[in-house]
Amino acid sequence: MIILSSVSKIFGEKKALDKISFKIKEGEIVGFLGPNGAGKTTTMRLILGYLKPTDGKISVGGLDPIEQRVEVLKKIGYLPENNPLYGEMKVVEYLNFIASAKNEKNWQKIAQTVGLSEVLNKKIEELSYGFKKRVGLTTSLLGNPNFLILDEPTSGLDPLEQEKIRDLIKKLGQKKTIIFSTHILSEAEKVANRLIIINKGKIIYDGKKPKEKGGVEKLFKSKIKN
Amino acid sequence: MKNLIKKELGHYFNTPLGYIITILFAIFVNFFFVKDIFVVNSASLRPFFLLLPWFLLIFIPALSMRSFAEEKRTNTIEVLLTLPYSETKIVLAKFLSIFLVIIIALSLTLSLPFSLFLLTKIYLPEVFVGYLGSTLLGLSFSSLSLFFSSQTKNQVLSFLFSTITLFFLLILGSDFLSSYLPRNIQEFFISLSPFYHFQNFVKGIIDFRSLFYFFSFNFLFIFLTILELEKRD
Repeated sequence: MIILSSVSKIFGEKKALDKISFKIKEGEIVGFLGPNGAGKTTTMRLILGYLKPTDGKISVGGLDPIEQRVEVLKKIGYLPENNPLYGEMKVVEYLNFIASAKNEKNWQKIAQTVGLSEVLNKKIEELSYGFKKRVGLTTSLLGNPNFLILDEPTSGLDPLEQEKIRDLIKKLGQKKTIIFSTHILSEAEKVANRLIIINKGKIIYDGKKPKEKGGVEKLFKSKIKN
Repeated sequence: MKNLIKKELGHYFNTPLGYIITILFAIFVNFFFVKDIFVVNSASLRPFFLLLPWFLLIFIPALSMRSFAEEKRTNTIEVLLTLPYSETKIVLAKFLSIFLVIIIALSLTLSLPFSLFLLTKIYLPEVFVGYLGSTLLGLSFSSLSLFFSSQTKNQVLSFLFSTITLFFLLILGSDFLSSYLPRNIQEFFISLSPFYHFQNFVKGIIDFRSLFYFFSFNFLFIFLTILELEKRD
């Protein structure tokens, strides 16, 4: 379970998060929505222990991401926003490096599932955007993590690839807890079973996804307007 | 740790930059020593060792400038810091990989003592202690350069800050600056210089105060680099 209790984060004079709280149970696929700068990435980075909260408490599987950072990171697979990668490395070298860090021996099989077999011996900097995204996604799956945190996993992909990634997230969600952020509201509608909407550092909606078609968009617009 | 060191070494040797910097270092050091050897007509390696700090002053910041600055610029630091490795392991892996490159670079100068040994008699323990001192000096330059690399996203700034700071630290221990300082603080400033402690090794002396100095110097800058990574602001 991931628990955030009254978590705030201040950068300089800017309050990025203002006392946000939520609990995410095992097996949930949570769509994390909000406009640019709302605090989605900051929240994800706090859960990973990449950032320290200014105030409040965070627990990931009963562990503190700051005090027990290494143990927490063994449980989480992460796809960062903008998907930073070591461009000068070959895909095979990079996956080997991450697999070693996460104690994953079966990375070739995962790479095959995500469709990376044909580019394993290419340098990452030579890959197309779509393949780079697949490399990032593959690394997030290594080490059989209990929690997946995906920051805009389909941004910049063509509709066909978006659909493939969505299907993959849905499939993974049967076994893992997933938090994913997105600007594509229809994506949240298709994939998530719970929505958290954040705006200006505050949670303005936390609940079930509307059942009717286009419901997520309506909900999002009404919440942001208010 | 082995995995991290392998990745770091890959950064130096997957691109031509690591080879170029290391080979240029070896060429310049060998050349500047050999060009005067017959003029001086001395079979000692002391002039070579006294020349080394000034080359290491450029070589090591050039090697280390990428370490954290590039990771920050390309945001791969987020990848690194969200892997299950402690900050200490990450910093030590970068430090040890630079250590290995220093060993490679210094080993490219071994032809000098070998040639001198064949031509004339040189006192080998002194040469060994000189190389030990050079390695310790190189390591302390690395820890300071790593620290400056962790402070910025800009490799050039990292290089400049490291080189300038090391330059001032080196001249603190030289006769040039000490002659301008009041006598009562002269000794204190000189003792802060890595050059002063390095000179003991060049003379073939393993002074425990100098060993302690290099150990503390490395500890301080590695510790400060770890603190910088732990900030997470």
